[in-house]
Amino acid sequence: MGTFWRGILKGAMGPRENDSRYLLDVHSRDLPGEATMARYRDDDEVDLVIVGAGAGGSVLAQRLARRGWRVVIVEAGPFWHPDEDWVSDEAGSHPLYWTQKRIIGGADPIELGKNNSGRGVGGSMVHYAGYTPRFHPSDLSTYTDDGVGADWPIHYEDLRPHYEQVEAELPVAGQDWPWGYPHRYPFAPHPVSAAADRLREGALRCGIEMRVGPVGIVNGTFGNRPHCIYRGYCLQGCKVNAKASPYVTHLPDALAHGVEVRANCMALRVEIAQDTGLARGVVYTTESDGAHRLQRARYVAVAGYSIETPRLLLASVSTRFPHGLCNNADQVGRYIMVQGATQAAGRWPDELRMYKAPPPEISSEQFYETDPDRGFARGFSIQTVSPLPIGWAEHVLADGHWGRALREYMRDYNHWATIGVLNELLPHADNRITLADEADQYGQPVARMDYTLGDNDKANMAYSTKVIIDILDAAEAQDVLTIQRFAHLIGGARMGSSPDHSVVDANQRTWAVPNLFIADGSVCPTQGSANPALTIMALASRLAQQMAGGAAMNNTSRKCSYAV
Amino acid sequence: MPDLSRPDHLPNRRPDRQPRHPSWLPRQRRGTTPQMIGRYPDYDVLDAVDTWDEATKKVVLARLEPPGPLRFFTPDEEPVLRALCDTALAQDCQPRIPVAEMVDGKLADGKLDGYQYADMPDDPDTWRLVLGGLDHTAVQSYQTGFARCGAAQREAIVAQFAKGRLVGGAWDELNVTRAWSVVMRMMLAAFYSHPWAWNEIGFGGPAYPRGFMRLGGAGKQGAQVREPFEKPGATSEDPVQIVESWER
Ligand SMILES: Cc1cc2nc3c(=O)[nH]c(=O)nc-3n(C[C@H](O)[C@H](O)[C@H](O)COP(=O)(O)OP(=O)(O)OC[C@H]3O[C@@H](n4cnc5c(N)ncnc54)[C@H](O)[C@@H]3O)c2cc1C
Ligand code: SF4
Repeated sequence: MGTFWRGILKGAMGPRENDSRYLLDVHSRDLPGEATMARYRDDDEVDLVIVGAGAGGSVLAQRLARRGWRVVIVEAGPFWHPDEDWVSDEAGSHPLYWTQKRIIGGADPIELGKNNSGRGVGGSMVHYAGYTPRFHPSDLSTYTDDGVGADWPIHYEDLRPHYEQVEAELPVAGQDWPWGYPHRYPFAPHPVSAAADRLREGALRCGIEMRVGPVGIVNGTFGNRPHCIYRGYCLQGCKVNAKASPYVTHLPDALAHGVEVRANCMALRVEIAQDTGLARGVVYTTESDGAHRLQRARYVAVAGYSIETPRLLLASVSTRFPHGLCNNADQVGRYIMVQGATQAAGRWPDELRMYKAPPPEISSEQFYETDPDRGFARGFSIQTVSPLPIGWAEHVLADGHWGRALREYMRDYNHWATIGVLNELLPHADNRITLADEADQYGQPVARMDYTLGDNDKANMAYSTKVIIDILDAAEAQDVLTIQRFAHLIGGARMGSSPDHSVVDANQRTWAVPNLFIADGSVCPTQGSANPALTIMALASRLAQQMAGGAAMNNTSRKCSYAV
Repeated sequence: MPDLSRPDHLPNRRPDRQPRHPSWLPRQRRGTTPQMIGRYPDYDVLDAVDTWDEATKKVVLARLEPPGPLRFFTPDEEPVLRALCDTALAQDCQPRIPVAEMVDGKLADGKLDGYQYADMPDDPDTWRLVLGGLDHTAVQSYQTGFARCGAAQREAIVAQFAKGRLVGGAWDELNVTRAWSVVMRMMLAAFYSHPWAWNEIGFGGPAYPRGFMRLGGAGKQGAQVREPFEKPGATSEDPVQIVESWER
């Protein structure tokens, strides 16, 4: 739909070919259709088995089920019943996160757990913040433009219709977007809280433009999904159904079209037929009996996110793939990325009470693109955030306080507002997932993530930290506390135009196994400084289109499948 | 009481980066706070308990139950554990949030954060080594166990711990800076999950299904607008003068 119509019809249009919003129940947060869900036998060769019911896996399942595919999703975590399972509480939300052990190394180890990935039906978006920006067109050609990162084997135009479709499905609320490929959002921006308003004032005084949104949070009503109640617990799972996650945006429609979500089932390996070299299905184990089962399928898609997808491939060893599936060119697990996510908090005389309203409110992409004057390639975005007490305590601790000093800052909580950055950190081959020597409770080797910042990364982080502190100063903050941290995961099984330098092709099909696809954030060769969820969904939506039409299975067009 | 519209009470704004002794704070008049001090003397988050959903109520109210016996730490470790929790969180008198028991419960149940530094033991072992290390340093510096040191001595040791500067004994098996972050984060997650701490800092607490309507953005009152159930923080004005000014 054109930008003009998007403006005229703001708040009044729903997506086509996705009834999730009507299938949800107004009186209960449960995923409708669980009781009547299709069930397939393990030896029944379904059309597609997907590992992981997260952002990528759920969108792929929903789209292909609409085309009549018989789909099973194998999901390691639980089938949520939000009314009973989710709480309006920070510490009580621990079960939402992927807290199975992982080893972190490198010069700049990344703290994982609650900060990076989820486990359970709906995946990480169940407790993501809710920012839903697009990538910029330049993100897909950083190597050509700046000699850093990598070029994607697809163009922005390949993704754009899928961005529009997913934005209508979430639905995204925000002001008209001037950065990247300028566009409008299907829903109007949310009101701004006292804390975010103070930060916006500071930015304006520094000549930095900030806009409200974009967030995947209902403003108004959307089918049976209600308006946000501004309670501020988005990172603990939205008990209201206002915040978008596949749990409310795609899985209801998927279940209604015959998808089976098999929860509490951990995939252990992709089974390869040694004669044909094709994937036969996925071997998984259940928590209850520990038995290993093979779900047979014509096609397999792995969507376990940037750590678990490489881990599953690396653990799937066979005589054809002695170093792990699709890893004969030593590419699996490489180029994993995180974004720099330094936050600075400012103090004001009045009580701003930042716990009110969703943590994601207003953002700026003014510094997103390369500016040679800054002395480093690529850039960063700026976003308001608002930690709850435990998050705030970690912030105060990071500034070096403990004991009485920490208690003093904590008591001052209501006077503070927090602004953060997202730095585009570049992909490096040695930042990678490997298997550690330890095994988990299923006997599966645990993942090890090594991460080291490059010089460009450090320069970017230092510059951006100065910008947000300038914003706080301009807003006349009386004191400033800073925490250096990281957020988001992406890469680890990237797409490219040659099997020597990537794991999947432009249609996210693995170079090594003709009926194996990767459908999550691990395929991204670069990350921009946008939060990744919308792009992961848009990529899965495009993948479904390519699979349904058969283009994804076409061998002749493998090297290059640009949109025409 | 100092003028809280100014930042002079904040550690970074003071010459030694240390706050004043908290005795300037008002005593809590409603509900409970750790040590009965806080900035919101008339606010008790538990007044709103009837507006919380059942699942949240269950999880939060369980934290008010009498703290159970230790399951992970041994009786030998217990005094050091308590001394560390009290010192690191400045809990120097009752009522205390039972941080030691909360940490112990997490470790006993294996509810860990999901990552382990390659150059570190796992979190349960890290805790044991830290307690051993604190005793080692205390004996080296003050010829007695950490738990038997005076408050100032314990604070001096913890200050060195926070800077990653402790060596010898169990410390040599740890990356001390990372160990500080592991134990502090677990203690902080326990302390600030407790409703008494929310009273101390004036946090609104669970807000489902009620939510918030008055966000304080654009509007006549701006940031001054408050939900009816939110109590303002204590201020330095003399209440007698305020009432008199109304009468004038
Ligand atoms: C705290 C936090 C805040 C965030 N904020 C934002 C934000 O504001 N905006 C944004 O765009 N993004 C945000 N993100 C990131 C976003 O949530 C993720 O990028 C996105 O959900 C990833 O999608 P995915 O499909 O790749 O994986 P996921 O959504 O993580 O799905 C993977 C699923 O696979 C399952 N799985 C993994 N391995 C196996 C296996 N072996 N067998 C079976 N199942 C398996 C997992 O349990 C999980 O459910 C945030 C993330 C976190 C943690
Ligand atoms: S603030 Fe809104 S979107 Fe976030 S959890 Fe609450 S109701 Fe959901």
